[in-house]
Amino acid sequence: MARVKGGVSSRLSRMLEELQAGLEDGLVPAWIFNDPELFELEKEKIFSRSWVYLAHESEIPNPGDYVLRYVLDNPYILVRGEDGVVRALLDMCRHRGMRVCRAELGNASHFRCPFHGWTYRNDGRLIGVPAEREAFGPDFDKGQWGLVPIPRLESFDGMIFGNLDPEAPSLEEWLGDIRWYLELVTKRSPMGLEVLGPPQRWVVNTDWKLALETFLSDSYHTLMTHRSLIELGIAPKDAKYAMYGEQVHIPGKGHGSMVVGAPPGAKLPPFWGYPEEMLERARTSYPTREQFETARETRILLVTLFPNFSFHNPIRKPDHKYQGTVPMLTFRVWHPLGPGRIEIFSWALVEKDAPAWFKEKTRLSYLRFFGSSGTFEQDDTEIWSHVAHNAASTQGRHLRFNYRMGLNLAPDPNWPGPGVAYGLNFTDANMRNFHRRYLEMLLA
Amino acid sequence: MERTQALLNCLYQEAELLDEGRYREWLGLLAEDVRYQVPVRVTKERGPEGGVSGVMEGMCHLDEDYTSLEMRVARLETGFAWAEDPPSRLRHFVTNVRIGEPKPTPLGEEAEVRSNLLIFRSRWDRPDYTLLAAERRDVWRQVDGGWRLARRTVILDSATLPTHNLSFFF
Repeated sequence: MARVKGGVSSRLSRMLEELQAGLEDGLVPAWIFNDPELFELEKEKIFSRSWVYLAHESEIPNPGDYVLRYVLDNPYILVRGEDGVVRALLDMCRHRGMRVCRAELGNASHFRCPFHGWTYRNDGRLIGVPAEREAFGPDFDKGQWGLVPIPRLESFDGMIFGNLDPEAPSLEEWLGDIRWYLELVTKRSPMGLEVLGPPQRWVVNTDWKLALETFLSDSYHTLMTHRSLIELGIAPKDAKYAMYGEQVHIPGKGHGSMVVGAPPGAKLPPFWGYPEEMLERARTSYPTREQFETARETRILLVTLFPNFSFHNPIRKPDHKYQGTVPMLTFRVWHPLGPGRIEIFSWALVEKDAPAWFKEKTRLSYLRFFGSSGTFEQDDTEIWSHVAHNAASTQGRHLRFNYRMGLNLAPDPNWPGPGVAYGLNFTDANMRNFHRRYLEMLLA
Repeated sequence: MERTQALLNCLYQEAELLDEGRYREWLGLLAEDVRYQVPVRVTKERGPEGGVSGVMEGMCHLDEDYTSLEMRVARLETGFAWAEDPPSRLRHFVTNVRIGEPKPTPLGEEAEVRSNLLIFRSRWDRPDYTLLAAERRDVWRQVDGGWRLARRTVILDSATLPTHNLSFFF
């Protein structure tokens, strides 16, 4: 608490007390979704100490392959060295701070600063300094002036995460029991996943927590936000379709998942509608029988990792006339740009060994329903931006949002997976758990 | 000159339909085998081939055929398409039109038509707006005396889109 007193204004302290006082009663103040002072604290206390998703290893399969990614406003070059090792190097020349990597992706054996020509190998070592002897003398030690690696870099099943805090717990510890749910997609095939191209990127005037909430906990919004797809016969006719299934959260971690099955009586294919051959591979690929059995009954799966990564894996079809279903998988980073402003990084992924026809159809399922133009998602971003606007308004910021859904719901004792599960998705349990963790980190 | 004027009229008529939200009529300008793509654009270094690169193959913002475009239009008609209800005020500015030599194909005479496009977008009562600039690389096909859009590739000038969704057409 000493650091809080030292670094937080009395205004912000009072506001955090308000959040703390209301949370267990399901009350969350609107102001947390768009406040400049709080955003500064989030940068320091959350994003400077959390594991942040950077890239999937399939984006940089070969030596020299790189992509440029961000943690807060820090640009990192995610690059696979000649030794096959993936590194995340701060894209900032050690001499005067210019960017040494000026493309979003590519392949390079070295990065050369355009300012004074300092040149680094793709493992970060400084290898060239123009007029080195004349300029810096005979004792200049290039070994001291390599590109600065991110303090921590670890991966889980091909998902690469970075952390700005050298003292952070391991990624494995950070993830904890959510791994069981992550594995439902990372281990569906023994070959793992691959990206279907670079991410779509776009900017939304909203708060990262509002975007995240939709993917973490909010099955309830599908009734209304996505009603156009129900009207078109694309989403299941039962408007409460997203209610059926389990909502699970990992106490103490902030992570959560929604595992949605089929509405009673609905004729939906098992295993998301993945091709039979993939179902057969999954039978032996999943680490446990419980995961396989769960996957077989799943039609929509969402996992959100604290603080700002989500994936969404729903049953879908490439268009409204298509006979049959083709599921899709999207990975998300809700990248915070400022108070009330985010950039979305959105990837489509598929199992490496999926049949070619399926890869193409799943790409189309993704493009037409999610992402920058998605007929589902475009209504989400419209709504998120208005909520964030109101959350910063002089009167609206004092309102408290109702997070009381499912407050009296008892956990499901029969759920086979880890975490605290509820047998109904119409609950804010995951969100309340997220905010507990959020508050804990802000106050730490 | 007659052909040039006819194709220019197509582009301007199309812009009018899109600006006025007359999407069913707009669908009537499309060939049934239309392919309509907006590839993701990324920042890349200038390659040995020169020019401006970074047009990604594979990943798009939109990758549509007639059926999926019709689906998007039908969605706007449901009364629950919040991204465009109330509708954005859109203005398509079409300039720098370049028309290639028409070529006969089994499906009819086809002409490549390139144009520059600036889309102004304003929503609700807010004074702010977004702008998207692009080049459109089209193929228009002469069918039954009229021209139909058979292919469109939209080369965006933004790597990160400065607008919160693409709920409209280019």
